[in-house]
Amino acid sequence: MALSVSEAFPVAAHTRRQIWSIGGGKGGIGKSLLAASVGWQLARMGRQVVLVDADLGGANLHTCLGLPMPQRTLADFIQRRVSSIEEVVTETAAPGLRLVSGAGDLLSAANIRHLQKVRVMNQVRALDVDVVLIDLGAGTSYNILDFFLLSDVSILAVVPEPTSIENGYRFIKSALYRRMRAAATTDATRRLVEAALDPKSPLGIRTPVDLVARVEAEDPGSAQALRREVAAFQPRFVVNEVREESDVAIGHQLVAACARHLGVRASYAGFVHHDDAVWQAVRRRRLFMADAPTSRAAEEIRQLTRGLVKGESLGNGY
Amino acid sequence: MGTVTEPPPEGPDLYAVLGLEPRASREQVERAYRFCLGLYGEGSLATYSLLEPAEAEEQRVRVRQAYEVLADEQRRRAYDESHGFLPPDSPVLPFPSSAAAVPAGDVPAILSGADLSRIREARGISLRHIAAVTKIGLRFLEYIEQDRFDFLPAPVYLRGFLQEYARLVGLDPRRAADAYMGRLAGKK
Repeated sequence: MALSVSEAFPVAAHTRRQIWSIGGGKGGIGKSLLAASVGWQLARMGRQVVLVDADLGGANLHTCLGLPMPQRTLADFIQRRVSSIEEVVTETAAPGLRLVSGAGDLLSAANIRHLQKVRVMNQVRALDVDVVLIDLGAGTSYNILDFFLLSDVSILAVVPEPTSIENGYRFIKSALYRRMRAAATTDATRRLVEAALDPKSPLGIRTPVDLVARVEAEDPGSAQALRREVAAFQPRFVVNEVREESDVAIGHQLVAACARHLGVRASYAGFVHHDDAVWQAVRRRRLFMADAPTSRAAEEIRQLTRGLVKGESLGNGY
Repeated sequence: MGTVTEPPPEGPDLYAVLGLEPRASREQVERAYRFCLGLYGEGSLATYSLLEPAEAEEQRVRVRQAYEVLADEQRRRAYDESHGFLPPDSPVLPFPSSAAAVPAGDVPAILSGADLSRIREARGISLRHIAAVTKIGLRFLEYIEQDRFDFLPAPVYLRGFLQEYARLVGLDPRRAADAYMGRLAGKK
């Protein structure tokens, strides 16, 4: 029998370190740059930070940080060429900021088995740092969702484009249903969660709100457990590549839409404007936080990071 | 036979439709209305993939209807009176009440249903509003405030209800649930 999410990834009560993750469902929306720059800023604020590039198969966080391909990567740990994840941690130019690269281009690494994933997660939790910041790949595979669900701070990056927003909602629903599936205590409820995952299911369960209502009607004893999972799931939106004022408002609208139509208590952590200084730095294989510290994007990353540390959000938009 | 509680008028909570709390200022009503028009507008990035066009139109109609009442001083006053909301220009505490003076995070060791009711009313929040936001049945909320312990759900569910209620009226959810449940344990 497969382990549930909570069984597989128990919260380590003995540690004060936090695990943050940045997901988003869609590729090319700037997750890696966000991870690198937020990690860089956290280190500037005095935190000991390890960035983990979990974009297995498409890892390039090292490039965002201006590093050559690291000698040892997460793939070495997954394939047991090294025994500890500490052995694949690479120093960066920024004091306090280190990297576990996902590079290695192993097809098998993108499809790691469950026990390998548990081993990675346990060792990530054991790293002796203040914040572990995980850069997730695109898509909604179980590997990605589980890293996201493992996190204390789950950041959902979107850009103000239809494809990104659609994938963002798909990511939220997939992650939440995975949580709910793990929390289901009866076969009847598990079947309903699986029906929710199937868009062609005749039961017509379209949202987590529909699912909880259906469980309430058919298996009321299980509904409270599902409600708890919904309440505990609190993704934090970051809108990247903002170009106009109305793009900023989209973050507020996403939060409202999640609350009203998915029953999810999301929040709006912040936004980052499109900024030529960013791509100029990327072309030079430098991080814009170091290369263009007075740029608008760098200032917004500083604000975003301070808000994330304090658990603050941007309010409700009106 | 106990007193039968008159059910409140049917229809959506107009404040919840605009995402507002009762006693919102006129300016907040205007801002919330504009926000909701953007949220449900045709081609809205935030909702086009969540709602069918007909559902989005239904939401726009609800938003307009809510705004028409809440932006009109006379209609809003009548609506507030019929739903037990305090008018927006009234002071927060219109009458002396020891329970109402409880700061948001400071919860006494024991809380009765009547205490909860006084705190809620002092903050101008209706039971219907709490029911609309939390999706908890109005009847259960009434049973909580009336201390009708025999009608309350199993403790595990009741605790969840109490925490949702407390969160909305600005009390510490865990402490408020403990304070009510502790009293319940002694009565049952």
